[in-house]
Amino acid sequence: MLKRGSARVGLGRLAIAALLLGLDCPRAEAHLVTTGLGPVYDGVAHLALSPADLALLVVVTLLAAMRGARPGRWLLALLPSAWLAGGVLGLTLPVNPSLDWAIGLAFLLAGGLVAADRNLPLPVVSGLVTILGAFHGFLTGAALTAAPSAGLELTGEWVALIVIVTLVAGLVVSLKAFWARIVVRVVGSWIAATGLLLIGWSFRA
Amino acid sequence: MTTTSQKSVLWLALLAALATPTSAWAHLQAGEAGGFLSGVHHPISGWDHVLAMVAVGLWGAQLGAPALWLLPVTFPMVMALGAMMGLLGIPLPGVEIGIALSAMVLGTLVATEKRPPLWVAACIVGFFAIFHGHAHGTELPAGQSGLLYSAGFVMATGCLHGMGIAIGVIHRWSAGRLVLRVAGGFIAAAGVYFLVSGLA
Amino acid sequence: MKRISFILTFLLVITSAALAHEVRPAYLELRETAAETYDVLWKVPGLGDNLRLGLYVELPADCVNVTEPRAVMVNGAFAQRWTVKRAGGLAGSTIHIAGLQSTATDVLVRLERLDGTTQVTRLMPSSPSFVVEAVPDRWRLAETYLRLGTDHILKGVDHLLFVLGLLLIVGNRWMLLKTITAFTVAHSITLAVATLGFASAPLPPLNAAIALSILFLGPEIVRVWRGETSLTIRYPWVVAFAFGLLHGFGFASGLKATGLPQADIAWALLLFNVGVEIGQLLFVFLILGMARSYRQLEIRWPRWALALPGYTVGTLGAYWTIQRTVMLLGFIR
Repeated sequence: MLKRGSARVGLGRLAIAALLLGLDCPRAEAHLVTTGLGPVYDGVAHLALSPADLALLVVVTLLAAMRGARPGRWLLALLPSAWLAGGVLGLTLPVNPSLDWAIGLAFLLAGGLVAADRNLPLPVVSGLVTILGAFHGFLTGAALTAAPSAGLELTGEWVALIVIVTLVAGLVVSLKAFWARIVVRVVGSWIAATGLLLIGWSFRA
Repeated sequence: MTTTSQKSVLWLALLAALATPTSAWAHLQAGEAGGFLSGVHHPISGWDHVLAMVAVGLWGAQLGAPALWLLPVTFPMVMALGAMMGLLGIPLPGVEIGIALSAMVLGTLVATEKRPPLWVAACIVGFFAIFHGHAHGTELPAGQSGLLYSAGFVMATGCLHGMGIAIGVIHRWSAGRLVLRVAGGFIAAAGVYFLVSGLA
Repeated sequence: MKRISFILTFLLVITSAALAHEVRPAYLELRETAAETYDVLWKVPGLGDNLRLGLYVELPADCVNVTEPRAVMVNGAFAQRWTVKRAGGLAGSTIHIAGLQSTATDVLVRLERLDGTTQVTRLMPSSPSFVVEAVPDRWRLAETYLRLGTDHILKGVDHLLFVLGLLLIVGNRWMLLKTITAFTVAHSITLAVATLGFASAPLPPLNAAIALSILFLGPEIVRVWRGETSLTIRYPWVVAFAFGLLHGFGFASGLKATGLPQADIAWALLLFNVGVEIGQLLFVFLILGMARSYRQLEIRWPRWALALPGYTVGTLGAYWTIQRTVMLLGFIR
């Protein structure tokens, strides 16, 4: 790309670039790998810091994992793939719908089922996980279309989702105590209640 | 390579470097955290609400096994239903009287240690929960982050409930049982006061 | 050569990202040169032929111009320099950019105080003013460096891969505790030594050596699978300590790239180190938590999936080692 003679100059420029980057973000040159993974980390932080996303993912995870290890395994297979498919779809379609009421409805549906603690058959649980996962992925992707390097950010959110879902699912499956199940149901009921309020909020006159 | 293009590259690199950390944090803004806190604040701001919530917890502790855990699971949802009605502008007559009555009735039930069948108890509590929720729903501030406000609101209610249940643990001892009944009487008396001052 | 193209690609990636917005930022620099006195540099993108964007700096009203603004057009940008003085300094006062609301431009602001500390802000049409922060106090400083340390390790794929490699080798909890402690102690030593200026490691060979430390773990992980044993498998904490010394120098370069405060170096160093440990423990617990979750969910992984983390460590270690060695040779020549 550059001729040998200009390499020195190039390095000088790069040093300036590194210095400028170093102004605010210490990643440049400080590391073995300066991968430009910034957007991926942005995605991770985005998911981990947004309560609405967390609540929906947690309640879907509770719904499947409180039925035992087998639905839990299906959750781990279905949720990330459905979410990613929805996310890519959201990225490509030129829409950014504001669906607060639908989020509220998803909260209400999944939270209500967790609170009720009924023994749902595996296909029903799997279907719900897939639909809700794809729905949330779609919303996330659609919200990202405006962002620069949206694909990387989506990837970051996806990785964070897998980690969070895995951790929560493992925890819930391992809960054996009676009161622990009550706690899970209470969490579900709180999320369902929040969903009801969200619905009310979005249709408020 | 011209110097201007070099410079603009550097500029944009700097801009990108500046933009990355902020964009991640942009999500959890000060306003949103404020929304959560004001949501928490709302249910604990009025004594009529607080006493009624605690009374529900106390009664649950007295009733024991299924009611004890059925209440905290169903109550938030019923109350949110009331709040949703309030948000949507569906009118509910006599809300203030209903709330004052709730403290009075629930307090009396705790004081007399009444043990109706589970479904009757659930209906009584659910009935009043709608009133409480409706009152909150109509008072909720416009705009802002609905989600965090709602979450804070639900959590605070749940915690008041939990407080009642935690206090209710003393129901195991005979002295504790007496204390609970006295507390119920106190709540009922407070309910009468709310009712009188509400009607006046 | 490789590095140049690598970084150019990196710059290209973030540039194209930024270009998507099509913004040419203006730049405001305030440098405190003496007590209560600031050199101001104000650059506005030009619109060709001595025209400029209508952006104006509004300093607090009680600012006195020590020198009048001198304007020049450089490379199509309009630049202005002057010096101002304000009783009590600028801290706590609000600086506004007039005209920003009606443009699509951003303004980058950099404020450098007398003690070398800086405040960097980006102003946008939706937020055209900012408040000058006072010198950060100890707690503010602590928060900054704590976050820097955590950020540094969590964004440092190399350090994380090394820790992952150790986790794959270590057999039981007691050994894990010893190994992580040894790694922590070792990198804390070199981090302190390098930051306080008692020793230093040039970056290119250091990076190559860190890459080598990751590569080194690859074959050891394979030995664990085969049920073989080695010095590393019997005493992983020894290896963790030895390579930990290297990684400490790496952390120090990260800290240096950001810059240390003039005062309170030891305090900043301590907090940065604690931040690194928090990030490291977070990562360790995350990995252990994931492993536990997979056990709870009774997942039976196929053989190749079980081998994946080990091969990732080995392959990336090898790749970086080759890449960094080539770079190192290029650097010497």
